[in-house]
Amino acid sequence: MNEVPAKNILIVEDDDIMLKVVERILKREGYGVEIARDGKEALQKVQDNKYALIITDLMMPYANGFEIISKVNGNAEKRTPVIILSSLGNEDSIMEGFKMGADDFLRKPVMVGELVIRVKRLIDQNK
Amino acid sequence: MVLADYFFAPFFRRYFYYFDSYPIVIQIAILLTTIAVLATFSAYAVILYRRYAGNRHEKKLARINPDLDNYITENIILNEQLATGEPVNQIVLPMGIFEKSLYRRRWVQQATIDRIIHYRKNFGGEIGGLLKKLYIDLELDKVSFKRLKSVKWDKKVKALKELTAMDMSIADVNILPLTNSKNRELRSEARHAYIKLSKNEPFKFFDIVTEPLLMWDQLELFKIITTTKDISIPNFARWVTYSSNKSVVAFCLKLIVHYNQQQAIPAIEKLLDSKDHYLRENAINALGKLKAEDTENKLVSIYSNQPLTCQLEILKALGRMGTGNHLEFLRHEFLRSADFDVRKNAAKSIINHKADSASLLKELLDTATAENALILKHCMNPLIKY
Repeated sequence: MNEVPAKNILIVEDDDIMLKVVERILKREGYGVEIARDGKEALQKVQDNKYALIITDLMMPYANGFEIISKVNGNAEKRTPVIILSSLGNEDSIMEGFKMGADDFLRKPVMVGELVIRVKRLIDQNK
Repeated sequence: MVLADYFFAPFFRRYFYYFDSYPIVIQIAILLTTIAVLATFSAYAVILYRRYAGNRHEKKLARINPDLDNYITENIILNEQLATGEPVNQIVLPMGIFEKSLYRRRWVQQATIDRIIHYRKNFGGEIGGLLKKLYIDLELDKVSFKRLKSVKWDKKVKALKELTAMDMSIADVNILPLTNSKNRELRSEARHAYIKLSKNEPFKFFDIVTEPLLMWDQLELFKIITTTKDISIPNFARWVTYSSNKSVVAFCLKLIVHYNQQQAIPAIEKLLDSKDHYLRENAINALGKLKAEDTENKLVSIYSNQPLTCQLEILKALGRMGTGNHLEFLRHEFLRSADFDVRKNAAKSIINHKADSASLLKELLDTATAENALILKHCMNPLIKY
């Protein structure tokens, strides 16, 4: 497994616009960012690299966000914090996400300032 | 067939001089085959044309969308004035890019509306406000309002979706008539828009609903009402008392239960005297879910005069209230009724009393017939819900 810089974040999102915009926002804040456009690509990246934080959507092709969270925190020695960024807002999805090991849940439409603060807080906590 | 013969028979007579010598069945078969072949080719032609048109549209969008994305990202999402706390209405957006003649074309205006809406679905707060400002500054709201006046229902639906997504106010005179439209989709979208956009009286259309709210409409409306933020929730007892539309009353009962409006109990209780079983059934269900213990005696007193559906709701309501005052009544129904559903619901309600019914349950298990014991065990299984 490649150890990537401490502030590297993986964004998993199938909406190209959202992906690019969140990538730009986080790069502007000084984070290193990698992107995955579907669950399969994300699972591959998670297997090959270690990230400081993962931001994932829930509904995606090939593998959904729950599978990614379960893979990330399933057998890792040190767990990786995960933020779910989804338009699914029903209680069941939120609860399921937290049960799987997500650290935070942001519902779309997202406020950029809030996203940046939550990312910073989780990365600082896990330093 | 006469028409087909009129069109095709001269052709066959000209090229197949022996066409008339065929039996009538063969002539009909030839005509039908010809029609089928022509229809197949026409269908392929339409599909190909649509694919070609779709592909051309995609290419046009691929030319325009990157510019729109760059503009929105640079000037709205990463807007520096916004980061310094400047109020949204005081931020002046650069409009240079939109002065090109290309941006006055109708399809480009539509692409811009779609793109702005896509961003607004993903980004809220002040960025959402700035996206709305861009929509208004580009006068795209006028495009949507103009479409709302179209005679075609699908264009009206699209306009309503756009205006709702951009949180634009629509005058009651324009939207209220649409909430009662004969077209199901338009009606549903107009109600959706009305609830989302009307901040003071989002349920005013309940007063004028003449068409029944279908179960699917109710599901959609329930989702919209319960997920829309900052909506002012009225006392739904108002419609329970005054509405002459049965489906509106039944829907309001569901909303009363969802919002636990205890103050609506007297209005619901009055429905127990209604001549309509459907309303009585829904009212009893709501009273049970609201745990309206003061109505328990009345429910038991009217039980014997009710149709089966209302009796079952009364049994369920007693189980939901779980006061223990009518355990003997439930026991009686469980042991004496010949109807399987009555026994099943009486048993479930006895079990729902938990500790209060422990001794009764033990007694019933010890003395029940094989079938009644089976019903009790079935109802005691926490995984089986009904």
